[in-house]
Amino acid sequence: MTDEAATIAAAMLVVDRLVVTYGTRIAVDGVTFHVQRGEIFGLLGPNGAGKTSTLNAIEGMLKPHDGTVRVDGIDIQRSPTDAKARLGVQLQASSFQSELTIEEIVRLYAGLYGLRITKAGIADRIRDVGLGDELGKRFKSISGGQQQRLSLLIAVINRPALLLLDEPTSGLDPQSRRQLWTRIENLRTGGGSILLTTHSMEEAQAVCDRVAIIDHGNLLTVDTPAGLIAKHRDDPRVVKVARGDVTLEDVFIGLTGSEIRG
Amino acid sequence: MADLASSAPAGGAVRAPIGLIFGSLLRADFTVLLRSGRTLLLNIAVPIAILVLIGLRLGNKSNALTQGGPGFVIGLALTYGLMASSLMGYSITIARDRDAGVFQRLRVTPAPTWAIMTSRLLVQIVVDLIMTAIVAVIASIIFGKAFSPGEYALIFCVSILGGAMFLAIAQAVVGLVRSATLVNAIGRILYVVLLLLGLLGSSGILGSTIEAVSDWSPVGAMINLYAGVLNISSWDWTDTSGLIATIGYIIVGSFIGIRWFRWESR
Repeated sequence: MTDEAATIAAAMLVVDRLVVTYGTRIAVDGVTFHVQRGEIFGLLGPNGAGKTSTLNAIEGMLKPHDGTVRVDGIDIQRSPTDAKARLGVQLQASSFQSELTIEEIVRLYAGLYGLRITKAGIADRIRDVGLGDELGKRFKSISGGQQQRLSLLIAVINRPALLLLDEPTSGLDPQSRRQLWTRIENLRTGGGSILLTTHSMEEAQAVCDRVAIIDHGNLLTVDTPAGLIAKHRDDPRVVKVARGDVTLEDVFIGLTGSEIRG
Repeated sequence: MADLASSAPAGGAVRAPIGLIFGSLLRADFTVLLRSGRTLLLNIAVPIAILVLIGLRLGNKSNALTQGGPGFVIGLALTYGLMASSLMGYSITIARDRDAGVFQRLRVTPAPTWAIMTSRLLVQIVVDLIMTAIVAVIASIIFGKAFSPGEYALIFCVSILGGAMFLAIAQAVVGLVRSATLVNAIGRILYVVLLLLGLLGSSGILGSTIEAVSDWSPVGAMINLYAGVLNISSWDWTDTSGLIATIGYIIVGSFIGIRWFRWESR
């Protein structure tokens, strides 16, 4: 086995030649990448590039037309329950039952992951994300930022081996954003892996170990942020859009184009 | 600080016991239902109102609705309750939660999809049974008739069948229609149409052809079934056809509802 093959075999997430279609439209076209244990991996792309479809396939929410997704060596299509038990997910467009209180939501999701947490334990976790005063409030009555924090709390309630974050910082104030990155860093320190999508190139450059740029369903490039800049700094498309020193954003716009996507 | 992510990740995650998953879902679904106090009250109060308003006028020969006897009135009240809860309540809740992404959030957990949906259905059936018990007790007071344990058992059986039928129809609606607003509108229209067809049709006001159609309609079938089990000695073909129709609606509704149901509205 070559070094690369061994690295991929030991990876926390392996996405292999993934194809996702909606009718005749191809949303993801043969995407292949892997996320190492303890790695923060960023998936970047313009709107409609195929990021969310890729995430949905990794989460087991849709059946790929072709290719495989393995989480900690488990095929998500063949053993979805086992694979999902290892995942933590924060979705961009999802919600909780609006009539349930914060405490009830945490208890529900703890149960879904097979965790028996005491009332005090639940309260501790809720306090930990700064929602201690909202414990008994219903989900519909807390602010958008608070909902986002709750969503992140639920995403890590099972101490996942792989955390999937779909634009995790949208709607967060700077304090919450800083706290989120601290938590993500802590999770990684504990050996967890993180796959995130974001539109913030600064954040991706600052926190991701490696990033992949995806567009029109195809993976354009994968490397460390510094590696991507070095690799593409002389690309005429990147040079054309760069203002001064080439940044990850310049590489991104150079490779994916300047036109605004829907 | 008991940091969420301070502990090592659960790399060797174990499979959650299905009992704990199902119990958690049931607890949450019951809580949500109990918090919808107005809907719950409506589901129980209106059948009682029907029972009282029509039941007290039984024997009034000028009113076709009161000529069917206690069995007809009890059947009508229970059928209304089942429709309100299982057809309207269920379809609107499912469509609303689907639109909001509640199901999407649940589905990324290890909870099997059948558990997510079965929990919802079970909660509705329990509400149907509670409504049935209350209406049956009040009916026995109004009509001065003490139901035997066997009759209670049969009434509950019909309510389970009826609840299942209206749930299957509701499932078919949310299976075929993605938009929550449209599901809401269709649910209400269906509700009025089925109620009028069953109510006016089975009373015979609109003639024998409509009466025959009504007997095979969901509401007509239910009213006949309730009337049949409350007077089991006079069970006839109309009651049997009601049973056949109910089972038919369950099968067809479930097939459509499962086959075309999508967990996301987008």
